[in-house]
Amino acid sequence: MQERLQVLVLDDEPIVGKRLQPALAKVGCDVEVFDAPGQALQRVGEKRFDIVVTDIRMEDIDGIEVLEKVLERWPKTKVIMITGYATVEVAREAIAKGAFDFIAKPFKPQELRDVIARAAEALGFAGVDRAAADDSV
Amino acid sequence: MADHPAAFPDAAPEAPDASSVERAFLKRPSFGIRARLALGFLSFIVFAIAVTVGAWIMLSRLERRLRFLEVADRYTMEIQQARRFEKNYFLYGGNLQDVQDHIANARRLLIAVAPDAAEVVASAELGRMRDHLGRYETLIARLVARDGAHAPADGAERPAIEAELRDHGSQMVAFALELAEKERASVNATLALFKRLPVAFLAFLLVFSVVVANFLARQIVGPLSRLMATTQRIAGGDFTPLTPLRWYRDEFSTFSVALNTMMRELAHRQEVLVQSHKLSAIGTLTSGVAHELNNPINNITLTAEMLKEDYGSLADEERLDMVNDLVVQGARAQKIVRNLLDFAREGEITTERLDLAKVLRGAASLAANQIKLSGAKIAIDVPPNLPAIHGDRQSLSQVFVNLLLNALDAVGKGGHVSIAAGTSREPGYVQVVISDDGCGIPAHVLPKVFDPFFTTKSRGKGTGLGLSVSLGIVRQHGGDIRVESAPGRGSTFTVLLPAAMVPGLSENDAGPATRPSASKPSRPA
Repeated sequence: MQERLQVLVLDDEPIVGKRLQPALAKVGCDVEVFDAPGQALQRVGEKRFDIVVTDIRMEDIDGIEVLEKVLERWPKTKVIMITGYATVEVAREAIAKGAFDFIAKPFKPQELRDVIARAAEALGFAGVDRAAADDSV
Repeated sequence: MADHPAAFPDAAPEAPDASSVERAFLKRPSFGIRARLALGFLSFIVFAIAVTVGAWIMLSRLERRLRFLEVADRYTMEIQQARRFEKNYFLYGGNLQDVQDHIANARRLLIAVAPDAAEVVASAELGRMRDHLGRYETLIARLVARDGAHAPADGAERPAIEAELRDHGSQMVAFALELAEKERASVNATLALFKRLPVAFLAFLLVFSVVVANFLARQIVGPLSRLMATTQRIAGGDFTPLTPLRWYRDEFSTFSVALNTMMRELAHRQEVLVQSHKLSAIGTLTSGVAHELNNPINNITLTAEMLKEDYGSLADEERLDMVNDLVVQGARAQKIVRNLLDFAREGEITTERLDLAKVLRGAASLAANQIKLSGAKIAIDVPPNLPAIHGDRQSLSQVFVNLLLNALDAVGKGGHVSIAAGTSREPGYVQVVISDDGCGIPAHVLPKVFDPFFTTKSRGKGTGLGLSVSLGIVRQHGGDIRVESAPGRGSTFTVLLPAAMVPGLSENDAGPATRPSASKPSRPA
């Protein structure tokens, strides 16, 4: 049995996690979702995730800070940013700070799956099941 | 343009319509400054003419008096001559021809002088005089007749005639002297009057000049100071049109009409500025709204996509939950847009009773996205039982949104902004204090922050209209904005608004008519 991709999803909109959980689970990811940055960072401290998906604009702690903390703890983890409005500046800042890629709201689950698949390939996971999702579309 | 509201109606509830004021000005009869000056000088000319005519009349009367005096003297002389010859006749004898000649002369003079003499002596006296003269003449004639008949010189009749002659003669002389004396006294009186006249004239002229000068000065200085007060009022943002105060129309009325036209234009410009600032505020708010709108749309997209993807395999319960999420998120998106649309809607300016707490919360919710984006902490403190205010909801929320956005710009991430409402120490006013712990305003900039088009923001980021327009709106409401700030110690903007007095009163009674007494320091020197 192939090792499953460990994914953390952080967005202060609870519905995002609620919908992405089954969407990503379907393609062979173990997904943990959070809507509070503090709890998410605490979990990152305990467990190594392969991929972290985080919103940029949140109260208390913003996505850039989450990115920095995650990479500090797990330098190999791929961090994907969700941005409310995809300005060049924010994207450039995120990429410069080591984010794998960013995805602009609103997005479809499949778009995130594609980005995650690319991140998984970069990490050396060959077996992310993109086709399973493609079939169902 | 004509139906454009000239000012916020609540600022001057009894403010008359500008065009009706203009009609009232034009309806009045014209009585210009030129006419009043002309009238003033005309009164001087009339006075001078009256004095000249009076002097001329008096002089001609004096002339007549002098002539009469001369005649009276000659009459006296004739009578005295007649008496001298009469005396000679009785002493030495001779004829009476000379006496008769002189008496005839005296009679002619008496007839000639009669009209003028009437002014000096009573006509009865004049009649007595004539009687004496007639009697004297008769007696002389009798003597002449007697002499002609060669009557004896010592006849019994002669002493009786002599005695009677003496009596009438002395009466005549006394009367003639008295006449001349009275006339002389009258001439002297007239001369004395003439001596006093120039002094009286001078004194009257002095008083008259002072009165006229004073009147004209008041006519000009009064309206001038009213206009001066009006210009100060205009500078303060009060565009209530001037109304006619006098029954006539003059150059100042024309000026007032022009001033009213100017105020109407200013009010219109002010409104344009308010609108253009509002548009820029809407621009700022829109970027926040766009960002905020992404959240419900993203939720809807994700939910709808997953519902579609897994429709067959989902339990009914899960499907219902997803559909519920769609409904809720749709409503959320609608609410976000509606707030902004409410603010953006170009509505008529209406004065209504407002709950300040609601206005403030509305402004805060409009700026909610900006607050979220800025990462600043915001605290709103509105005590219950805050007095209501009267005003235009949209205009006032524009003011508070503007002050809030400014504060957010100043603090940046992690800063604090507080909005605290309460009753002011200024009696009859409520205040909203918006303070931040941001960068503050340097002292040299502080006096300029309310100037239109003054901005410290980079080109394209700020119009420089926000505070100017906000102050304009608040002043139209009869209030004021004050600022305190120091670099590095944040800024505090205090908005003062007149409290609505007692519930149920008509709008005209809303708020005190006067501004806060210390409104000047709002623009520190």
